[in-house]
Amino acid sequence: MFLVHLEITGFRNLRHLALDLDPEGTTAIVGPNGSGKTSLVEAVGYLATQRSFRGAPRDALIARDSRSAVVRGLTDTDGRRVSIDAELRREGPSRTLVNRKPARRRSDLLDGLRTTIFSPEDTETVRGGPAARRAFLDDVLALCDVRQAALVDEVERVLRQRGALLRQAGPRPPADVLVTLDVWDDRLARAGTALADARDALVRSLEPIAARTYRAVAGRPDDLQLSYRRSWEGDLGAALAAGRTDDLRRAASLIGPHRDEMDVTLEGLPARTHASQGEQRTAALALTLAAHRLATDQLGSPPVLLLDDVFSELDPERSALLTASLPAAQTLLTTASPLPSGVATAQVLDIRVLQEGAA
Amino acid sequence: MPAFSGPLQALVDELGRLPGVGPKSAQRIAFYLLKVPGPDALRLADAITAVKERMTLCTRCFNVAEGELCAICLDDRRDSTVVCVVEDPRDIVAVEKTGEFAGRYHVLQGALNPIEGVGPDQLRVRELLARVDAEGLTEIILCTNPNLEGEATAMYLARLLNPLGLTVTRIASGLPVGGDLEYADELTLGRALEGRRTVEA
Repeated sequence: MFLVHLEITGFRNLRHLALDLDPEGTTAIVGPNGSGKTSLVEAVGYLATQRSFRGAPRDALIARDSRSAVVRGLTDTDGRRVSIDAELRREGPSRTLVNRKPARRRSDLLDGLRTTIFSPEDTETVRGGPAARRAFLDDVLALCDVRQAALVDEVERVLRQRGALLRQAGPRPPADVLVTLDVWDDRLARAGTALADARDALVRSLEPIAARTYRAVAGRPDDLQLSYRRSWEGDLGAALAAGRTDDLRRAASLIGPHRDEMDVTLEGLPARTHASQGEQRTAALALTLAAHRLATDQLGSPPVLLLDDVFSELDPERSALLTASLPAAQTLLTTASPLPSGVATAQVLDIRVLQEGAA
Repeated sequence: MPAFSGPLQALVDELGRLPGVGPKSAQRIAFYLLKVPGPDALRLADAITAVKERMTLCTRCFNVAEGELCAICLDDRRDSTVVCVVEDPRDIVAVEKTGEFAGRYHVLQGALNPIEGVGPDQLRVRELLARVDAEGLTEIILCTNPNLEGEATAMYLARLLNPLGLTVTRIASGLPVGGDLEYADELTLGRALEGRRTVEA
């Protein structure tokens, strides 16, 4: 899967630009800070997922003086061309057309374009709290399988309903309220177990690839280990029943997949607290690249790899090692500094020239 | 500052409150009503008045009714021992169109939804339980929507009804008839596979 053509209008600080991308090689976007490199990556990510990878609200994606933003992409998967046209509106519903027809399902979009994104903020996957790691796992699940995307959504909705019920119930609710809580517990136990199982299996598949990638990029034989840790033991339904008094007293769901953790260790020590910043960044990068390779295996063709400002915190040696270990897939990378030597690019484009050229 | 004077603005405002009608459509409908001959417009007014005066909820099943009981509850050819539980009166229309069901209904008037403050007390659950003995029900078909809230409601009702010793069933979910597998969405097809049945040869 690769992007053939990309056109962006009124998206963040990008007034208008259009570019053709190399199908297999690396396209490097260069330019000073604040010139719109990350916005470009964000726009491509929006085409694939209908949201900002930085978690920005839709309103923030539309250029300040504009009422709508338009991102158009033409993709190619084994010779099949798919056009994706996304219009984001400040007022009224935004819409996305896939091959000129409204996208009805999530899979319509994923059939057209899938992306793996790494940006400086992704170091949070290793350095930040457990929520960042759960979000990372859920994003990979959703990238690979729409049914698992639906499962992630379901767990979130069940948790919201159960949370609302717990807040209304008070610490000692009457019996009929407890019966409705039974029902939400049952939904949470089923969907929550399925999600935890899926994440656990994902972590097991990711670990060897991430460990190998870490060694390759770090240039050292350090051991990166991953393991999924549930917030309960045994059967989730039984655990929810056992923890009910606590849940009612605190008016919150205290166990479930939303409290689980993926432990990341380097040489046997927790990377979150014991690794250096460089090691954390390399570990986060290894996780993303591992997810990319796994998605490639499962989907049969690699997602488009988007690397935003990836060299900014890596020393030249690691940058070179990273470049050598990049998978064979269409890659779009941005950099504010000169490209490290040894980076093989199909084309280097200055974002300022792109904008002037299209204006 | 209202755009139109007096009654016309009042009409635009009222129309704008209807579901699915935005300010532009409200204006268009208001001007249309202003233009059509008096009797035509008044028929609409009469219809609204009649609906509000004469239509109530059936005291037995909470379907819309003209009088104490709805047309379905009044029809004594229908099987009075089987009840199909739906969320909304509009769902009755959908089930009726199938021609597959000849029992009676029970309209919950919603589904369990704690976020929106809907619990069993906001639904016609107690009334359903009372019907089991009073009407000698033998089967209850849970026909709530196949979404999270509808499934939770069905599961809740099953928990209350099963101890009462009658048959409680849930409608199956699956593929649209006459459709192509290749166009089915993954979730529906996945559910259909889960609920597969042995083929009798």
